[in-house]
Amino acid sequence: MTLSRRNFVKVGGAAMALPLLGSSAFAQLEKVKVGFIYVGTINDNGYNYAHNQGRLYVEEHLGDKVETIYVENVPEGPDCERVLRELAQQGCNLIFATSFGFGDSVVKVAPQFPDVAFEHATGYMSGPNIGLYNARFYEGRAVCGTIAGHMSETGKYGYIGSFPIPEVVMGINAFVLAARKVNPDATIKPVYISTWNDPAKEADAARAMIDQGIDVIAQHTDGPAALQVAAERGIVGGFGQGADMSAFAPETQLTAIIDHWGPHYLASAEAVLAGTWVPGNTWEGLKEDVVQMGPYGAKVPADVVAAAEAMRTGQIDGSVHIFTGPINDNTGVERVPAGTTMTDAELLSMDWYVEGVEQPA
Amino acid sequence: MQFRLEKRREPSQFMLYATPVAAVALTMIVGAIIFSLIGYDGVGAVREIFLTPLTNAYKWQDLGVKAAPLIIIGVGLSIAYRANVWNIGAEGQYVIGGLAGTGIALLTYGMTGWWILPLMVLAGMLGGMAYAAIPALLRTRLNVNEILTSLMLTYASVQLIYYLIRAPWKDPMGMGFPQTRLFSEAARLPFIIPGTIVHLGVPIAVVVGLVAWFIMTRSVFGYRMRVVGAAPHAARYGGFSEHKTIWLALLVSGALAGLAGVLEVAGPFQRMVPGFPTNYGFTAIIVAFLGRLNPLGVIVAGVVLAITFVGGEVAQTTIGLPNAATGIFQAMMLFFLLAGDILIKYRVRRVVPQPSQGAA
Repeated sequence: MTLSRRNFVKVGGAAMALPLLGSSAFAQLEKVKVGFIYVGTINDNGYNYAHNQGRLYVEEHLGDKVETIYVENVPEGPDCERVLRELAQQGCNLIFATSFGFGDSVVKVAPQFPDVAFEHATGYMSGPNIGLYNARFYEGRAVCGTIAGHMSETGKYGYIGSFPIPEVVMGINAFVLAARKVNPDATIKPVYISTWNDPAKEADAARAMIDQGIDVIAQHTDGPAALQVAAERGIVGGFGQGADMSAFAPETQLTAIIDHWGPHYLASAEAVLAGTWVPGNTWEGLKEDVVQMGPYGAKVPADVVAAAEAMRTGQIDGSVHIFTGPINDNTGVERVPAGTTMTDAELLSMDWYVEGVEQPA
Repeated sequence: MQFRLEKRREPSQFMLYATPVAAVALTMIVGAIIFSLIGYDGVGAVREIFLTPLTNAYKWQDLGVKAAPLIIIGVGLSIAYRANVWNIGAEGQYVIGGLAGTGIALLTYGMTGWWILPLMVLAGMLGGMAYAAIPALLRTRLNVNEILTSLMLTYASVQLIYYLIRAPWKDPMGMGFPQTRLFSEAARLPFIIPGTIVHLGVPIAVVVGLVAWFIMTRSVFGYRMRVVGAAPHAARYGGFSEHKTIWLALLVSGALAGLAGVLEVAGPFQRMVPGFPTNYGFTAIIVAFLGRLNPLGVIVAGVVLAITFVGGEVAQTTIGLPNAATGIFQAMMLFFLLAGDILIKYRVRRVVPQPSQGAA
C-alpha cells in the first residue's frame, strides 16, 4: 500500500474507529483467519512445536475455509500487545495466545477488538471475548513419575521448571506422587530457570542436578536440551516434553508427554466459522486425547511399561486420580485427607509441594 | 595478490554522513537478494520490514513506543563513546533503573500524588548511575576494562530481578507467578495521545536527544567529551583529567539507561516481570553508531531500528518470514556501517610484492 492521502485517511480513520465498535456478536463466516503467537520458535521440538502442529492440524482439516498466521519468539511483555494488535488488524477472527505470560497483554488488547475471539492457553484471566484453554499435563506427569519410580537407582529426580506457577507446581507434585507409590523414599529437586526456552540454561541446570546425584530428569521447559544432557551423561533417563523428543536422545527418552492441541484448535475455529464461539474454559487430558504419551523407550522393561500403561488407562477411565489423598505437603502436614480428591480449583491454585519435593530456593 | 589498509589524511565529511544512509540502503538491497535466494519474497520482505511500519498510520504509535527507550539509551551511549569510554552494559543499568523505579512504585502503592512519578524517575536515574559507577570505579582505580565489567554486571542485574520478584516483591494475587503487583495509577506513565499507547516517555526521548545535542555542541562538557575521545594527548595538555572524563561518561550514560528503564516499567509494563530485560541496552549500541554518535542522529537511528522491530513482525504475519530475519537485517546494518567507516578512514591499496634480490 502506498502512502497516498486517501490511504492515510482511511487507515487512520479505521484505527480511530476500532475502539468504538461496540458489538460483540459473532457473525457466521465464509472463511476464518486464525492467528497464533508462540513464546519460542516452532523449531524447538517441544512446546511451541506442538502448538504449531495444532495450527497445521486446523489447516489440514478446514482446507480453504481457513487461513492461519503465526508469530514466533514473542516476548512475554508489552511487545506481545503489539503483536496481538497486529494480528487483529490483519483480520484474524480468532487468536490463540499460547503462553502463560501473554495474559496481561491479552486482557489489554481484547477489549479493543470485541469482534475477535481470543483464547489464552494455561492462563486464568478471562473476559467477554477471552476464552481459556489448558491441558491436564499432570496426568502425563503421573505416567512419567511411575516410570521414574521403577527405573531410578538413586531414587533422586531432577525437575527443570520455568516459574513456580500452579501449572508447574502441580506437574512436579504429580510426578513425585506417582513415583512414591513405587518407591516411598523417592525425592525430587526442582530448579527454576525463569524462562521457558533457553537451551543453555536448561542444559546447565541438568548438569548441576546430575552432579548432585539425580538419575532421572524431567522438565517443564520447551526444548530437548535437558534430555540431551541426560543422554550425554548416561543417566537412567528423561522425558520428552510437549512432543516426542526421541530423535534427540533415542536411548534416553523413557517416554514423552505429547501436547495434542489440534482437536481443540479445530473445534474453536469451527465454532468461529459457525458463529457459535463463546469464551470457554477447557481443561482436557489423556481421556480427550489432548494429552498423549509418546512411545516407551527401548530400555523400559515390560513390567514398567505395564505399570505406566495402568496409570495411563486408569486416568482415562477415571479409576485413578493422582491427587487423591492422603497427601502430605513437604513439611509433613496433611493437606488432603484419605479418600478425598483435590478439586480443579484447588489444583489450579496449587502453591505447595507434596512430600518428597525438596523446597526450591 | 595482497591488500593493505592505508590511513586517509582527511576523511570526507560528506561520506561521514552518507554512510549511515548507504548502510541502510545496502541492507535493503542485500537483504532482498539473500531472502530471494533462500526462497522467500525478498522484495516483499524489505517492503514489509522497512516501509509498512511507515505507511500504516496505525503502526506509528508502536514505532514511538519502541524507539523511545532506544533513543534515550542511545543518546547516553553516544556521549560515552565520543569520549572513548565503552559502556557495553547499558542493559544492566536499564534494568537497575527499572528496579529502582519499581521500588518506589511499590513503596507508594495505593497512594496518590503528582510527586510519585518524578520520584520514580529520579530513583531510576540514580539507580542506573550507581550501577554504572561500578565499572567507573574499577576502571579508574584498578584499570579494569569497562567493556568487560559493564557487560558482566548486566547478567548480575537480571538475577537481581529474579530474586526480587520471586520473594520480597512478589505479587500476592499473581497465582505464584514471579512478578510484582500492577502499579497503582499514580505510578503509571500517562498516555499523551488518547486512544493510543503513546506514553509520556516518547516526547521525553525526543527532548533528551535535543538537550544532549545542545550540550554536546555548545558546552564545555561536550567539548571535553569530544576532545578526550578525538585527541587524548591534546586533552591531557588542555588540563582535562582522563579519570574525570571516564566518570562523567559512565555516569551520564548510566543515568540515561536508568531513565529508559524506569520509563519502560512505568509505561508499557506497569509492573516488574521476568521479561523486563528486552535487550534495548544492546540494541541501543547499534542505534548510537548508526546515529553517528550524534544525539540528533540517534533520534533518527532509534526510529530506524524501531521500524525493523515492528516491520519484522509484519513480515512474519504477511509473508511468513522467520523471526530471525529481523536480527539478520539489524546485524547487516551495523556491519555495512562499520565497513563503511573503515573505508572512510582508510583506503585499500594493493600490495605489489617486491621480487627478492637473492632469487634472481
